Amino acid sequence: MSSLFIHILTPVAIFLFIALFTLFAVYAERKIAGFVQDRLGPMETGKFGLLQTFADILKLLQKEFISPAAADRILFAVAPILIFVAVFVGFSVVPWAADFVPANTHTGLFFIMAVVSIDAIGILMAGWGSNNKYSLLGSIRAIAQMISYELPVGLSLIAAVMITQTLNLNEIALNQGIYSEQDLFFLGIWNVKDIGGILSWNVFQAPHLLVSYVIFFIASLAECNRAPFDIPEAESELIGGFHTEYGGIRFAFIFLAEYAMMFLVAMLGVVIFLGAWNSPLPNIGNVRLADWTTGLYWGIFWTLIKSLFIVAVQIWIRWTLPRFRADQLMVLCWKILIPVAFLCMAISGIWRITVMV
Amino acid sequence: MELVLFYAFAVLAIGSALLVVSLKNTARALFLFFVVLFGMAGLFLFALADFVAITQIMVYVGGVLILMIFAFMLSNKELLADLQNTSSRFLSMPNWQSLLLTLGFLAVMIYGIIEWQQHTPNWITQNIHKGQVILPSDNNINQLGIKFMTHYLLPFEVISIFLLMALIGAAHLSRKEDKQ
Repeated sequence: MSSLFIHILTPVAIFLFIALFTLFAVYAERKIAGFVQDRLGPMETGKFGLLQTFADILKLLQKEFISPAAADRILFAVAPILIFVAVFVGFSVVPWAADFVPANTHTGLFFIMAVVSIDAIGILMAGWGSNNKYSLLGSIRAIAQMISYELPVGLSLIAAVMITQTLNLNEIALNQGIYSEQDLFFLGIWNVKDIGGILSWNVFQAPHLLVSYVIFFIASLAECNRAPFDIPEAESELIGGFHTEYGGIRFAFIFLAEYAMMFLVAMLGVVIFLGAWNSPLPNIGNVRLADWTTGLYWGIFWTLIKSLFIVAVQIWIRWTLPRFRADQLMVLCWKILIPVAFLCMAISGIWRITVMV
Repeated sequence: MELVLFYAFAVLAIGSALLVVSLKNTARALFLFFVVLFGMAGLFLFALADFVAITQIMVYVGGVLILMIFAFMLSNKELLADLQNTSSRFLSMPNWQSLLLTLGFLAVMIYGIIEWQQHTPNWITQNIHKGQVILPSDNNINQLGIKFMTHYLLPFEVISIFLLMALIGAAHLSRKEDKQ
């Protein structure tokens, strides 16, 4: 009975976290946009505009359900749910701290890649179901982009997995810090198993993973349909892209899915490349900084801080870079990211058989 | 609990598969096909083939299904209507043939199950007695990798070459022809 209780409690906790995170991230997005564009951002609702996003979500929840007369009602109604569930399920295998993970499976990483690809079906469904030219164009653009950019994401993750030798996200996280049972080498030469900290993160265990991480980060921006890869919802050309016809709580779910996706890819990048829940502070002689700052609560803290930092970078990029044109987008993916990702994969293989013997 | 889930997935897969073939609305049928594939992936999980289940979602949902929907969206409306007409005529004429085909398949499957229950191979019963069975908590990805690179190396390479051929063919077809 208690296990059933946990099975219900965990998803509810994750959902609450996503909702809270979205409220916070929308506020942060506006404030950072304001900072970048040299203005104040929301200031009226609450102190420093803190209640602005709460007011927005209240407005969305009160709105009436409207389906366009020509829309395919079933597809139109199911699409936002499918989009959100695809991202939501992805959270089920990502570890928050040592052995603190909703589902500890051997196929964790592969599972995330698979469920995130379901997202594309949801977007296509929304675009087709709306029966609106702009929505359809937006969703076709979104799919073309998401399918192309799934390749660099997959290849950069394979480069990392070749080094870690496991798809289990919990083990990948474990092997980047002082709790590891095997020897860890900084740049492949210096055994840092007892020192831990930033030195034992995957990107420093094998330096070419830094390039891999940059590829993963760029491609994951495209997977989230965020600027500079936001041609699927380019306001100036397509009104709102695939979610033009949505309003009220359905729109809220699409929005929630978008922000949840941002956090999911940020967290995935942190878990695989940036040391997961391990502390960035190394042990220096008798000053056992890594030992002091590793544990359950510290783990959750570090995961959150690192992921939120990556999300902040995503927001910063959105308000700094202009949008890519469709052909530039494809050139970047197929002619730059994929060849470099393949190169990283090859280096991973060589690194594995020459340096990490 | 597990039995309930198993039957839920089975009903999901079979029910939506029946709907897919009987729906008039092709777009809905294509999206419903996703449910069929999802139910199938769930059934694979019960065979302790988690890797196959996830690959099913990844390849079929992330690739094949989206390709099918794209092909449907980009095709001509008249062409589709034409196709629907001919297909309904084509299917309605030899109704008895398709019935015969399905009954044949059913018979083969039932025969297989009965035969299997009567003459289970020796090595299976032996391994069950020794306790050499896959557990839900086992990590069988490593096994898969090793098998691919040793026992099944030739099929694996043949498939790789085949995929490479398809890729080169696609690139060639979509290339702009040089006018000169």
